[in-house]
Amino acid sequence: MFPKQLENVLLKVQKPGRYTGGELNSVIKDKNKIDIRYAFCFPDTYEIGMSHLGMKILYSLINERDDAWCERVFAPASDMEEQMRSLKVPLYGLESGDAIKDFDFIAFTMMYELCYTNILNMLSLAGVPLRSAERKNLSPLIVGGGACACNIEPMAEFFDLTTPGDGEEVTNEVIDLYKIHKAKGSTKAEFLREAAKIPGVYVPSLYDVEYNDDGIVKAIIPKDGAPAKVTKRTVKDLDTMFAPSSFVVPFIEVVHDRTTVETFRGCIRGCRFCQACFLYRPIREKSPETVEKQCRAIYENTGYDEISLCSLSTSDYTGLEKLLNSMLDWTVPEKINVALPSLRADNFPEELMKKLASVRKSGLTFAPEAGTQRLRDVINKNITEQEVLSTASLAFKGGWTAVKLYFMMGLPTETDEDIEGIAKLAQAVVDEYYNNPDKPKGRGVNVSVSVATLVPKPFTPFQWEPMITPEETKEKQTKLLSYIRSRKISVSMHNSQTSFLEGVFSRGDRRLSKVIEKAWEYGCKFDSWDDSLKFDVWMQCFEECGIDPLFYTARKRSYDEVLPWDHMDYGVTKQFFIRENKKAHEGLTTPCCREKCAGCGAAAINGGECSEIRKSVV
Amino acid sequence: MRSVRVWFKKTGTAIYISHLDMNRCLSRAVVRAKIPLWYTEGFNPKPYLNFLCPLPLGQEGLNEPLDIRIEGEMTNEEVRNALSSVMPEGIEIKSVTDPVMKTAQITSAEYEITLETGCENTAADFALKAGEIIKSGELVAEKRSKKGVKTVNLCEMILSFSAVADGAFIRIKTVTATGSASNLNPDLVLTALFEKTGFEPVSRKISRTKLFNESGEEFR
Repeated sequence: MFPKQLENVLLKVQKPGRYTGGELNSVIKDKNKIDIRYAFCFPDTYEIGMSHLGMKILYSLINERDDAWCERVFAPASDMEEQMRSLKVPLYGLESGDAIKDFDFIAFTMMYELCYTNILNMLSLAGVPLRSAERKNLSPLIVGGGACACNIEPMAEFFDLTTPGDGEEVTNEVIDLYKIHKAKGSTKAEFLREAAKIPGVYVPSLYDVEYNDDGIVKAIIPKDGAPAKVTKRTVKDLDTMFAPSSFVVPFIEVVHDRTTVETFRGCIRGCRFCQACFLYRPIREKSPETVEKQCRAIYENTGYDEISLCSLSTSDYTGLEKLLNSMLDWTVPEKINVALPSLRADNFPEELMKKLASVRKSGLTFAPEAGTQRLRDVINKNITEQEVLSTASLAFKGGWTAVKLYFMMGLPTETDEDIEGIAKLAQAVVDEYYNNPDKPKGRGVNVSVSVATLVPKPFTPFQWEPMITPEETKEKQTKLLSYIRSRKISVSMHNSQTSFLEGVFSRGDRRLSKVIEKAWEYGCKFDSWDDSLKFDVWMQCFEECGIDPLFYTARKRSYDEVLPWDHMDYGVTKQFFIRENKKAHEGLTTPCCREKCAGCGAAAINGGECSEIRKSVV
Repeated sequence: MRSVRVWFKKTGTAIYISHLDMNRCLSRAVVRAKIPLWYTEGFNPKPYLNFLCPLPLGQEGLNEPLDIRIEGEMTNEEVRNALSSVMPEGIEIKSVTDPVMKTAQITSAEYEITLETGCENTAADFALKAGEIIKSGELVAEKRSKKGVKTVNLCEMILSFSAVADGAFIRIKTVTATGSASNLNPDLVLTALFEKTGFEPVSRKISRTKLFNESGEEFR
């Protein structure tokens, strides 16, 4: 429940439902019977945060504890922020309405780099000093997780600790340890030193970073007993892993408003640009029975009419057919739509498509990622044009008339021919529609092409690659548009400036902390929203801090360079990434894990276990 | 298939749920309630829900009607019990009845409004002035509708109005035209009154208490 002072302002702001709390299934506890107050913050608006599965999992997980109360916090939009600042209402938890500055933990999940200024803005709205060193007390502890935790260096000055990898186990371990130290009256330094001993906990302040004269990292030196390498946490068995049985059901419409259940973690494909593929290895599958049970529970507790089976590549789930056959028995009569995001064009059986369309049709999206076969080989996206076209053809036969195609530009070795290839492939899909005798009668086709710019990310074979500049991006974008001939094709492209900033921070180091802080001081926030990005201000901040952003993006790194994230261990070995990088430049593909184990090394951090290895042995 | 009329109360945090969001929110609630629902037969099957008289954002409703369609043998009492257990905070099921009147028969509604002034004299002063203005029969304001902005005399749509000071509060009871033919949001009356008198309350609470048909009977 929101603080009383806000009652009169809620009708003056857009979508007050973002700020009221009180949604169905939100957890209310008696704060007098609670030891640990935990604020789970999502550094973007309510609509985006409420779509985030990780938040739902950890919210339920922490609230399972009798001694802790986890509340949700989102970044208020500008109109609300103005009201809160003028009324001096500090950032509050949606469940209790209490100021989060008095909580034990303020946790952030970081899904992308452009939320960094929002994190600072939320800390400021909460009334908490930004820098870890300025916060002397044990609480509130500022902790972080999510994909960006693989290289949190640009935010290292602000966080007390982060938890790279799966959060299901380590979150509780950190809370347990904190509880002991809170009772003992330990200092923050004492707690952090102990916390760094928990596997999968990274305490940035326990590492000194030295630089060479050319600005490249010389060494990352652990101190006070902190481990030289922080190994990400991996939950071994997804069937026994904690999973929520209900979601908070928002009043207002959010981006993904549905039941979402994971089918497996990791990805067998090994596309060389994809960070998620490598961050979440090794492959661990949930059994179809577990998935179905979890879907059913959440559906019954929420009333959602859509279930999304989520993973990095859902058609690679070995239990998919069994799961759908069993699930559709109850989802069809109960008018529930089952959605499969992240399908691949090469293994989508016709039977499945028919079954899925039996309640409502949802969109169909393919991700060829590159316009020519040569470039698809470079990035190891093992899909042929023929596979895309034949799957599209099947879809058209099944009544679909809209297809989305995802591409990237700025890939290593890319030429004009590859950019033209994007237009050609989109055109081929359009032609496929009109040549299809079984196409839906009397309706046109709509092919939407979405083109992103490659941001080379840590823990991918492309982590050493230069990224194209915003100018080059714009050039390529203009070129692509000139190749499009059909009005059936609509093209949307990522903002070259947001991609550039993402590029700087994803492979950045600690020296960027001051740039981020300055940008926030100059009013930068919601940088991922095109209408609020202040790119010129960002450039000014780099200049004032004496930092050249191109150092982070445009430079080709050498294999032996110390990378700012070298003290993080995500399982997949550097040798594997080097091997894959070399193969990319030779235009050689690597078969997917199911065909042949490529020896990425990820199984080692999971006791040698990987669903794919197990199968090949059996 | 039969229609049942669900009467609910919307207060507290629920007043910040807009009409569109109410539709989504209660569609899910009826699914959770495991009532044998009748689904629309279109391309995108949905449970049938009809809010007879949508409440504006920020206003309470003490007894609001919602029609749903069900199949099978469930009694009104069973529907009521099933729904009661699944409602989000701020929405309370009052009763479930067979529909007697049609939506189009709603012509007016009674509202209770509380304004907070922070000062007893101001409250008394405004209550007096407001009563006089409405009595004069003319309170002109711009009213937005789907057809555009129009200047109208609000008094023509006010059936009754009384304002009394209660300490530093002002309590207003008014019946205004409501429904598809003619509709007046009492918030518009307040805004017009504030503009005319130069008074601005610290807070306002608007609560719809009853709906009526043309002959002044309570809507059933």
